[in-house]
Amino acid sequence: MLLTVTMSLLEGFGTTLKLFLLTLLFALPLGLIISFGSMSRITPLRWMTRTVVWIIRGSPLLLQILVVFYGPGLLFDLPLLPRFTAALVTFIINYACYFSEIYRGGIQSIPRGQYEAGQVLGMTKRQIFFKVTLLQVIKRIVPPMGNEFITLVKDTALVRVISVYEIIWMGESYIKKGLIWPLFYTAVFYLVFNGLLTILFSWLEKKLDYFK
Amino acid sequence: MMKKLFALLLAAMMVLSLAACGAKEEPAPQEEQPAETPAETPAAESDVAYVQDKGTLVVGMTDFAPMDYKLEGSDEWVGFDADMARTFGAHLGVDVEFVEINWDNKAMELETKAIDAVWNGMTLTEETKSLMDCSDPYCMNAQVVVVAADKADQYQTVESLSGLNFAVENGSAGAEQLDILNIPYTAMDTQAKALMEVAAGASDACVIDLLMAGAMIGEGTSYPDLTYTVQLNSEEYGVGFRKGSDLVASFNEFWKGAYDAGTVDDIATTYGVDEAIVKK
Repeated sequence: MLLTVTMSLLEGFGTTLKLFLLTLLFALPLGLIISFGSMSRITPLRWMTRTVVWIIRGSPLLLQILVVFYGPGLLFDLPLLPRFTAALVTFIINYACYFSEIYRGGIQSIPRGQYEAGQVLGMTKRQIFFKVTLLQVIKRIVPPMGNEFITLVKDTALVRVISVYEIIWMGESYIKKGLIWPLFYTAVFYLVFNGLLTILFSWLEKKLDYFK
Repeated sequence: MMKKLFALLLAAMMVLSLAACGAKEEPAPQEEQPAETPAETPAAESDVAYVQDKGTLVVGMTDFAPMDYKLEGSDEWVGFDADMARTFGAHLGVDVEFVEINWDNKAMELETKAIDAVWNGMTLTEETKSLMDCSDPYCMNAQVVVVAADKADQYQTVESLSGLNFAVENGSAGAEQLDILNIPYTAMDTQAKALMEVAAGASDACVIDLLMAGAMIGEGTSYPDLTYTVQLNSEEYGVGFRKGSDLVASFNEFWKGAYDAGTVDDIATTYGVDEAIVKK
């Protein structure tokens, strides 16, 4: 029994991991673009980006998943995205907004003097960003990013609202068969995976432990 | 440029999401009225043709023995509803695809064409009838109160129920019955969770379908210490389709034929629900 349950939960956890990895793949770069938008010197663009970030961060992810999946069909009678794709799109947009604020915090925490020094040396803005700022930013955002990664792993549980069969869904389906423990057993999978992430992040922090 | 485009895109999303939230708060009837008129237009009239074009009838359901469930170690849906759905698919000349849905979202799933039918021992209530177009009833059911077996003799009448902590599936027929009796309850998202509440002692009692109670509780089941006592009502099961869909007529005609041919009875006997079938 334990083996059967473990196999079916692993299948669900596969979906969870796929959602986790694909979200990171797209949301990490997208977040950087959004952070540039929210620091832009073009006022309308800056305000628009900040409004969007406010809405995405200020409304429940659960609601956003429902809107992205059912919205097109309910409002415009359009064909729907596949369930997993709709969940993925929501997660990418949502997490990109959170990441953008972390990037912005990181970038703006670099002392102004370094930009000025770069300019004096005749470097372009692009050169200053990639050769001076970026590595320091990465170093500074590792701890908050670790937080977000771990939250992301657990947030994937929300997609079962549109019937994406992730691990909690799989665990819950056993309740109907009279087995209650598989639902709680899912915690083991989350704990192990988040444990690995924690180790990875503390290793990264150590690796980046230079120019103190 | 890219940034601007992207910002525009996100802004559009945001407007969309706001509009969607607004629409959802509207009471159902207001939403349905305008939706029904365009449903009369040719595009929506051919729901049967739409399904046949697609080649698949997508049936939204939940794991609910004896209507839809999987046998140990099998990936195939079986049960009275599942088998009848496949028969209906064969009648239409299409494949049947089963999708396990979140029961709370069944109306949205239908309206957005994520599924083509809600077919899972669905009780015909005023609410379901207002949300979708339903078939003629095909099966009888009742809502029963489930309590721990050792306390069952104290709760044999409706009057004895007040003061119990109830758990019941949100928006289900059981919840409707408790509302009528003015008994407060904790809403769960499935009947199975309501049962789990009682088994765990978190609630004193729950209200579930008689068919489900027959299959899931008592000796020889996963919940040997539970039993059912009071029957709160009697009700009927039907299949839900999109508003204005011609699948309803097609289904009723199919069912009559299958009933006359004895197919319905055969399949019902296989799953032990033959007593509950509506006589045509």
